[in-house]
Amino acid sequence: MTKARVAKTKVSNECRQTDSPYLPETVTVERVESISACEKLFRLKREARRARKAAPAHAPGQFYMVGLPGYGEAPISVCAPSATGSDIELCIRVAGNLTGALHRLGPGDTLSLRGPFGDGFDTTALKGRDIIFIAGGIGIAPMRSLLLAVLNGRKAYGELKLLYGAKSPEEVLFTGDFKVWKKKGLSVDVIVDSGTEGWNGRVGLVTDLMGPVKLNALQTTAVVIGPPIMYRFVVAKLKRMGMAESDILLSLERRMKCGVGKCGHCQINSSYVCQDGPVYTLESLEGMGEAFK
Amino acid sequence: MTEPRLIDTRALRSLLGALIRDFRAFGPVDSDGVPAFAPLGAVSELRLDLDPTHLSAREFFLPPKETLLSFALSENENGTKSAVTTAVVEAKEQVLIGLKPCDIHAVALMDSVMAAGVPDVNYQKRRAATIIVGAECTPDDTCFCASLGTEQVKEDSGFDLFIHELKRGAIIRVGTERGAKLLKKYAWGRRATKAELEGLTRYYESKLAAFTAKLNTPKEELPAVLAASDESPVWGEIGALCTGCGACNHVCPTCYCFDVRDALTSDQKSAERYRVWDGCTLDDFTLVAGGHNFRRTRAERLRHRFNRKLNYGVKKFDSLFCVGCGRCSRTCLVGINITEVTNSLIKEARGVDKVAGKEAGKARTKSD
Repeated sequence: MTKARVAKTKVSNECRQTDSPYLPETVTVERVESISACEKLFRLKREARRARKAAPAHAPGQFYMVGLPGYGEAPISVCAPSATGSDIELCIRVAGNLTGALHRLGPGDTLSLRGPFGDGFDTTALKGRDIIFIAGGIGIAPMRSLLLAVLNGRKAYGELKLLYGAKSPEEVLFTGDFKVWKKKGLSVDVIVDSGTEGWNGRVGLVTDLMGPVKLNALQTTAVVIGPPIMYRFVVAKLKRMGMAESDILLSLERRMKCGVGKCGHCQINSSYVCQDGPVYTLESLEGMGEAFK
Repeated sequence: MTEPRLIDTRALRSLLGALIRDFRAFGPVDSDGVPAFAPLGAVSELRLDLDPTHLSAREFFLPPKETLLSFALSENENGTKSAVTTAVVEAKEQVLIGLKPCDIHAVALMDSVMAAGVPDVNYQKRRAATIIVGAECTPDDTCFCASLGTEQVKEDSGFDLFIHELKRGAIIRVGTERGAKLLKKYAWGRRATKAELEGLTRYYESKLAAFTAKLNTPKEELPAVLAASDESPVWGEIGALCTGCGACNHVCPTCYCFDVRDALTSDQKSAERYRVWDGCTLDDFTLVAGGHNFRRTRAERLRHRFNRKLNYGVKKFDSLFCVGCGRCSRTCLVGINITEVTNSLIKEARGVDKVAGKEAGKARTKSD
């Protein structure tokens, strides 16, 4: 966490329009794929070099402010690493006006994009570690950005395990990816809150999948992404398994309006999730009781 | 830096008159019995003797509604939609007369927030276009700025000129080159004498004695008091009173949170993205898609607000974010008073310390 410069503000008259942190770039939808009743996978293409400056590529766990003129903006996590710096993959669940309108977009349409924002996952720090990925619900989308980044450099990591809980079989996302992931050496365990006819998998909570897991606590990093209630139970269990708080990584969701530490919505204690997060170690959340509220 | 100047009553009037004549000028007026910042047409409207204005001067730097982007929408031949986006960064030159020391300190805090990391150019442009002519004040029974060290200003506090009225005339302190130029142009007067400046020092000493509302601990202790108050019953007590109306946020000179919204024109050919004031005591402030609310109760929201004013800011901005203007207390419909609440927390923190101290003492005796 860097301390902001407290130096007296330099007030100049050179406040140019193009310096506005709220000015988005316009990006084109390249492909849209329906991956469940509520989720669509968007592949976006940004201009190779924007007029302003070269577009920075994103890290796993970062997010963009995705918008549509007339509908507003919302923070959406990346769900894949960027191969070229100009391709972006986002998984968007329909939840309101904006996401409803985004779901009506097709190839060739444009949307507004700012970012990437936030502090994502540091894959270098994960090298040599066993990793247990624990995802709940839509948390699998940001998790996928890290999974893919890690699997792309598979040899550098130890044992890799994904435990994934969803509400129902219909809401299990990225099932098409599982085969490739398993082939690359990731064990994938899925559980659903309530099964339906034809579901042969496990029924229960994601913590049920943790029961039989044997892990070398000193050698393992846990990455947990899901709803707050899941964090409370999963974190407690990980600690009982001997995991250190510094080896448990979480990505926090918050309401966000600016992405640049101004609008105040994402603040937890002294931390701005949009800048200091969304990825935190459990250790760094010490004293921040609201984190999982 | 220009030394403080002394001008006579007539020169003060002509300085204020010239500012009102030559600029878009705003200052406190008596608005149907309510002290309020308003556009000034004549010196006679300006009231430097009133209690703090109900609303702070924030609206002049961060307007209640401000357009950030405008979109020109079009449909392409193949049926796809696109938009041409333009950032709107506009500011007109303005003069604010009669900002009190607390208000000036609040502007400086806002400056540091808007400059940190990625600067907010909309704010900065308006800030740069705003000339601040501060004025001395008399505390009322809610003001508690003396407990926060914001009862007086220094030359680098952020004002351009600062008026310290005397029985005859005024000492004018000069904070910027821009201020010096204006003073030279309109009412240069003479350099204030050593005796006159000593009078100023004596005035500030006497001002300290005028406060009835006080925090019962040095300001340096406040972050620790708040940090220790997470589980305090005080939050539940004031949460039960609070209506969640957001008035405390609305009147606060250091509240800067905003919501960003879009609006389409009726012909759907253009749209704008704008920001409006938001408040952390409002119930949807931390609501996310899917319906989860991270601060569901009014008690949690008030705890957050008090911490933002008296604790959280220290880590990122090295400062408390309360300037002691008392506006939230004066405005609160149910009488939640920031000094009373904070003093309750201070009392609790001391109680805990005492208990802890006692137990520690006992433990020592035992081990001995």
